[in-house]
Amino acid sequence: MSALVSFPAKVSRTVFGAAIGATLLTAACATRPTDPAEAEAYDEANDPLEPMNRGILEFNLFLDRIFLKPVAYVYKETLPTEAQNSVTHFLDNMHAPVTVANDLLQGEASRAGTIVARFAINTLIGFGGLFDVAQELGLEDHDEDFGQTLAVWGAEEGPYLMLPLFGPSNPRDGIGMAVDIFLDPFTYIFKYEHIQWAGYARLGLRAVDARARHYDEFNELQRSSLDFYATLRSLYRQRRIDEINNGKPTGIEPAPYLSQPAVEPKTASVPSTH
Amino acid sequence: MYGRRGFLAICVIIAAVGLFAGRPAVAAGPDEFIRGIGTTAMNSLTEKGISDGERQRRFRDIFNKNFDVPGIARFTLGVYWRSATEQQRAEFLKLFEDFVVKSYAYRFKDYDGEQFRVTQVIDVSATDKIVQSEIARPSAPPIRMNWRVRSNDPYKIVDVVLEGVSMLTTQRDEFTAVIRNNGGKVEGLLSALRDRIGQESQAQHQ
Repeated sequence: MSALVSFPAKVSRTVFGAAIGATLLTAACATRPTDPAEAEAYDEANDPLEPMNRGILEFNLFLDRIFLKPVAYVYKETLPTEAQNSVTHFLDNMHAPVTVANDLLQGEASRAGTIVARFAINTLIGFGGLFDVAQELGLEDHDEDFGQTLAVWGAEEGPYLMLPLFGPSNPRDGIGMAVDIFLDPFTYIFKYEHIQWAGYARLGLRAVDARARHYDEFNELQRSSLDFYATLRSLYRQRRIDEINNGKPTGIEPAPYLSQPAVEPKTASVPSTH
Repeated sequence: MYGRRGFLAICVIIAAVGLFAGRPAVAAGPDEFIRGIGTTAMNSLTEKGISDGERQRRFRDIFNKNFDVPGIARFTLGVYWRSATEQQRAEFLKLFEDFVVKSYAYRFKDYDGEQFRVTQVIDVSATDKIVQSEIARPSAPPIRMNWRVRSNDPYKIVDVVLEGVSMLTTQRDEFTAVIRNNGGKVEGLLSALRDRIGQESQAQHQ
């Protein structure tokens, strides 16, 4: 089939595709409001593609409802807890090389060392990572990815993006996700062993594992949110900041609400209008 | 040399030390404050066999007594606090309290045996401190929970941050999104809150 596609046809198809993409983007773009308060809220949301993103979330939630959620339910109800924990440990252990690479890129040698030790111990003594023996020895796990590395290097996150299948993201973390595939030795191992299916299986297992672990929380969040889309966006950004800072509290520098009259002592009068 | 006078001096010192050590918790630090709330919450909110209404009443008590509720509510309205009318602000304050009570109180229901521990206190500003705490879990790393405490007299909690997720920020982001999607009208949020509180009350009576 690909042999039939001549070069110009390929180009015109790409141009055509780009044109459609651009039209869709423009149509999906929300326009910045003129009212000052509205404009401030709009900027704060940093989500110019909100209409499109909301559509993609609907799509993702549809897939969740018909596929991921039922699978995760059966998985968590039938598999013994120990087995589920082993799956989580196994997947975490496989992520270790990517974490080490990113720790080093961030100049965090000692954190990288912890993960190297964890990987060695859990792979050798923990039956290929099925058991987190290192945790018992006091070696705590952590996650790094190239999106975090870019942030440490000073890259801005850019506007919010909801990716089909992958969920909340932004240009920085999207690029990070792609780079991590190249940083991951398992990408090459699967390729040269001709077992690419293992890569997809791993991806699918990660989705089921994560959904099963947060089964109730996720459902509850969906139920109790006034605006689930906005809540998810807020949670994603806050969690990413926390991960980038390796869990150190960020309130040390003046938090936004310190300077705002909102939480000033009650003696303060009603906030003045600008 | 160390005659009667020396003996007296030692007595005074001992008495003074005793006095300070025996002082009641008036001068307790923010860590003591949070530890106290943690213990109270664990004891009274996780009690099995009490009705949902009773759990909510207890939660509301703790919330109003220890949190800067009006300040938090105002913050969560974000830029729209300015455009809200006096009447809307007043109604929002009331709805916000109900909303928090209804959406958070039940979370303590299935809570048991988790250990709550204050780890350290960080100075943020002249008035604010962050009290860091952990909730231990069996066979998983502990949950990090930070409390932002304002040292007014008495102490008031202005924010709770769980694994980097601030209650204040999350609520503000959600509330302002609801208003924005209602054409910037605060009334849109108020009616959404009224609906939600109504639904929760109905669900609890069933």
